[in-house]
Amino acid sequence: MEQIQSQSPETPTTSRRQLLASLLAGGALAAAAPVLTSRASAATSDIPKRDSRDNSALNAALQRESQMAATYALAVEATSNEDDKAALLLIHDHHLEYVDTLIGYLATEAEKPSGRAIASPSGSFSSIATQLAALEDETIAIHTNNLAGLIGVNAASLVSSIITMEARHSAALSIVAGASPQAAARV
Amino acid sequence: MSSEKNTPITRRHLLRSSGAVVATGVVLAACGGGTHNSVTRIGESPESEPLPNAEVTDVVLLRTAQSVEKMLADMMTDSRITSLVSGETAALVAAFAAAHQRHVAEIAPLVTSRGGEPVNERNQKLMTAYGENVLSLIEEGGNPEDVLAAALGLETLMAATYQYAVSLTVEPALRADMMRLGAQSSRRAAVVAQLINPGTKAFAPGVDENGNATVATLPSAFGPLSTVQISVGPKNEAGTGTTVLMDTPSLNSLLYVL
Repeated sequence: MEQIQSQSPETPTTSRRQLLASLLAGGALAAAAPVLTSRASAATSDIPKRDSRDNSALNAALQRESQMAATYALAVEATSNEDDKAALLLIHDHHLEYVDTLIGYLATEAEKPSGRAIASPSGSFSSIATQLAALEDETIAIHTNNLAGLIGVNAASLVSSIITMEARHSAALSIVAGASPQAAARV
Repeated sequence: MSSEKNTPITRRHLLRSSGAVVATGVVLAACGGGTHNSVTRIGESPESEPLPNAEVTDVVLLRTAQSVEKMLADMMTDSRITSLVSGETAALVAAFAAAHQRHVAEIAPLVTSRGGEPVNERNQKLMTAYGENVLSLIEEGGNPEDVLAAALGLETLMAATYQYAVSLTVEPALRADMMRLGAQSSRRAAVVAQLINPGTKAFAPGVDENGNATVATLPSAFGPLSTVQISVGPKNEAGTGTTVLMDTPSLNSLLYVL
């Protein structure tokens, strides 16, 4: 079938390039419209993601976590039951993950942590678990107090996710140490 | 022989005109917002009211946390739960409910000091989304173990709610206040996990003799923000209940200040 297209040279033509350009401009305008026609809908958009003034507090958190990992390493050595040993090793590994994550976050601003143990837990497993639960509580308090001064929301989110699990560490250790559920839950 | 020679619409015309229509539509849409009383119409048509501007602020997050705390307090004192448990478990669930109601009161001054109005109502969106479903399934199943499964899920959810709120909170000091409350729910979650699956062996995720995942007291190194999944209600042939997915409050379940 023959197709004949006629085009008058006098008619102003729109080239494909012009058409594409106008469509792109229209698309950009459509995308920008909500921003242009209404004020920002979330006050949360103003929160800084990262702030170098947080580095000092984050380095303190890093130092504490490295000390917690070292303390758990000693606790593992002082424990004989395989299940108990594995449980302490799991929490030890959690603290090592916090160390690694904080170092990753701080990057070149990370200070080398001492890695010195805070305590040398000893005695029965119940006694060791009780001592470690108390250290977890101290660590939670340190992180929570630091959280109140953190400006960047990324650092705050990281620290809050650590606090959530350290609260579990503390309660779990308390209950296996022999505390009642109410006492371990603090209700 | 073809007669298409006389066809008035060519592909080029079509492209050109459709492009012009799209571009015009976009410009008109962006320029909208004025009144349109000049358009002739027959009959009465109500004026449409623009939607209020809803912002996620610290007060909104606090009010939402109050509503979730209230929801948990209500669920844990619901007769469909309390009728299934007795003794130590009943006392523990009652203590958890009291703690949540106490948190509602503790958040109130944080709201009022920021010019907001505290709430003492449960989060109806979340109640409709999964709260009612959980209670109905527990009643149908009549299994006391479901109460602990629900408590574990709800406490995990509450802790995640505060943890998520931190990422949206503007005032740094308030983030710490939120996490003080969130950490308490996290503790309670660990205790319930130990009641379901006791001992140090249950700290890490594992599987039972049938290959089913067991309840872990410490399921991950970092606080999770993922959907909380619980299995409650009448058991099927495989011995499992109905899976209910519970999410932390999101944009459609926040208690906005309008």
